[in-house]
Amino acid sequence: MQISTSPQTSVQVKPMKSMSPWAIARRKFVKNKLAMISLFYLIIVAVVSFLAPYVTTIDITRINIGEMSLKPSSEHWLGTDKSGRDVFTRLLYGGRVSLLVGISCTFFVVVLGTIVGSIAGYFGGKIDNMMMRFTDFILNFPFLVFVIVLGTIFFGKLNGLAVLIIVISALSWGGVARIVRSKILAEKENEYILAAVSIGCSPIKVIGKHLIPNVLSTIIVQSTLLFASMIVAESGLSYLGFGVPSEIPSWGNMLSFAREPDVLQGKPWIWVPPALIITLTILSINFVGEGLKDAFNPRSRR
Amino acid sequence: MSTMDLKNESFNLEKNEKETLLEIKNLKTYYPVKGGFFQRTIGNVKAVDDISFSIKKGETLGLVGESGCGKSTTGRTIIRLLKATAGEILFEGKDISKLSGKSLQAIRQDIQMVFQDPYASLNPIQMVGDIVAEPIKNFKSIGKKELKTEVMDLLQKVGLPEDAYYKYAHEFSGGQRQRIGIARALALRPKLIIADEPVSALDVSVQSQVLNLLKELQKEFDLTFLFIAHDLSVVKHMSDRIGVMYLGSMVEISGRKSLYDEPLHPYTKALVSAIPMPDPRRKANRIVLKGDVPSPLNPPTGCPFHPRCAVAMDECSKTKPILKEVKPGHQVACHLY
Ligand SMILES: Nc1ncnc2c1ncn2[C@@H]1O[C@H](COP(=O)(O)OP(=O)(O)O)[C@@H](O)[C@H]1O
Ligand SMILES: [Mg+2]
Repeated sequence: MQISTSPQTSVQVKPMKSMSPWAIARRKFVKNKLAMISLFYLIIVAVVSFLAPYVTTIDITRINIGEMSLKPSSEHWLGTDKSGRDVFTRLLYGGRVSLLVGISCTFFVVVLGTIVGSIAGYFGGKIDNMMMRFTDFILNFPFLVFVIVLGTIFFGKLNGLAVLIIVISALSWGGVARIVRSKILAEKENEYILAAVSIGCSPIKVIGKHLIPNVLSTIIVQSTLLFASMIVAESGLSYLGFGVPSEIPSWGNMLSFAREPDVLQGKPWIWVPPALIITLTILSINFVGEGLKDAFNPRSRR
Repeated sequence: MSTMDLKNESFNLEKNEKETLLEIKNLKTYYPVKGGFFQRTIGNVKAVDDISFSIKKGETLGLVGESGCGKSTTGRTIIRLLKATAGEILFEGKDISKLSGKSLQAIRQDIQMVFQDPYASLNPIQMVGDIVAEPIKNFKSIGKKELKTEVMDLLQKVGLPEDAYYKYAHEFSGGQRQRIGIARALALRPKLIIADEPVSALDVSVQSQVLNLLKELQKEFDLTFLFIAHDLSVVKHMSDRIGVMYLGSMVEISGRKSLYDEPLHPYTKALVSAIPMPDPRRKANRIVLKGDVPSPLNPPTGCPFHPRCAVAMDECSKTKPILKEVKPGHQVACHLY
């Protein structure tokens, strides 16, 4: 998510000299309105969520019996939930947790998947065979069962959030590993990789300096899509009660109130805001992902 | 006549006195073919099947043959991008075919390669300056300023403008890209450069410029070339000696003049007759080969060329002819001689 929005677009006198492929992609991305609006929305959500303690001073942990299930008003913008907690405030704090889980999981998954995939793809042969067997094993693991079992084992012993992040990451890198491997397999056929070996680059250098940077566009596009699915995973698990510990607000935890029929039918202000913000966030991430994909595609000039 | 011979002999003597830089002995490089459920090796593509030759210091050996005959595989095996299946690669008298680790890295300083594809052989996201600087950085620890001066110097030597340093490969034409590749190969001041069809992807008008550049650099840096090409016309201007490959084997190797004027092997004769000639008398004699090149996965028995040879005898399908010297400095692998 490091898209600098420097105003490069205004300089268009002559065909720009010496633009790195990255600069060209950035220019194309900046011109994509939908992607830029989505990115803007995501930045706002992220900034407001992470600055929650400065945005609102309401205590989210205090249960206020006198203010249970209030409708939206000027005092409580989005009303209060069944424990009398301000929904808007919880939405902000929940965003913090949901985004944090999403970002950390994406980070670990991408790093792990890239390491495994690039080593397997570059070396090939037995190493590739072994690593891909293991990847298949991970991919076929019953995800939900494992999350529930591990969650129960570590419940109370470790920080619930950390357990969730570790478990999701450890079980999700398989897809990235496969995609990176196939990209590396194709990319390493290029003569510049042979050249890199012949000028004395070590395997680590060939992978890190020549191969990964050249498949980075794919990795970045994948990580945006992955980021969206990680947020869905958090919400889904929390909704089912196996995700973020219930005392910590998260979008998924807030959504789980909708399991109660009276909330679902009569108190939409409690569950509609988290549902809406999750949907919008996922949509935006996907639009950004599509925009990046387009920007990196050399065939789609401007 | 006799004075000519004398001259020739003294010339040969002079050549013979030069040291041998590279000697290939019975080199074989096979690509395993995997198949079946367990990905076992079920066969071998015999891309290079027992070839021997040597190159003297300062000399250019041209290596020609149709596409797929194993030229690139030969070059890549010598520079150790591929591992030889069998045989020896003696560089300055030392077998480098089994080196690994540090000693393999060390040899990379002496042998460099210019690649065939001017587009795929340059990293698209590296600045030209970085591309040329990278080999130096891999082997020497020199200051930033010094490195830059050296790279600028190299760029200038291969005929690129100074501002090329800050540009990316995609901003250059094919010929200029090939110059970048040459600068990269030159950066470590190697002794041997393997040029794998360095001009076959370029426009004819640009080809001679790049060939001339290679020749100039050879003089300036005292380089030895293994120059690979798929037809004899390109090789002619570059080489002192020429080797002709067919289906993984070396069928003829000789001095340039001898090969062009009196080709011995039926395959070489066909190649020579295919060179476009301004002389109309030669055109009439063009030999057209029948059939296709057989697969190196399943090469014919005996002489690899016999199924397409117009003068094949019984023996040709039975035993594989070995390379033997039939005239001074002119070797051929054919049962006719
Ligand atoms: N990586 C590979 N795996 C299997 N076969 C290969 C591989 N590379 C080349 N070959 C085969 O080896 C033979 C020689 O190829 P190559 O050395 O590239 O020929 P040339 O450079 O003369 O065109 C060809 O038949 C080709 O199909
Ligand atoms: Mg080739």
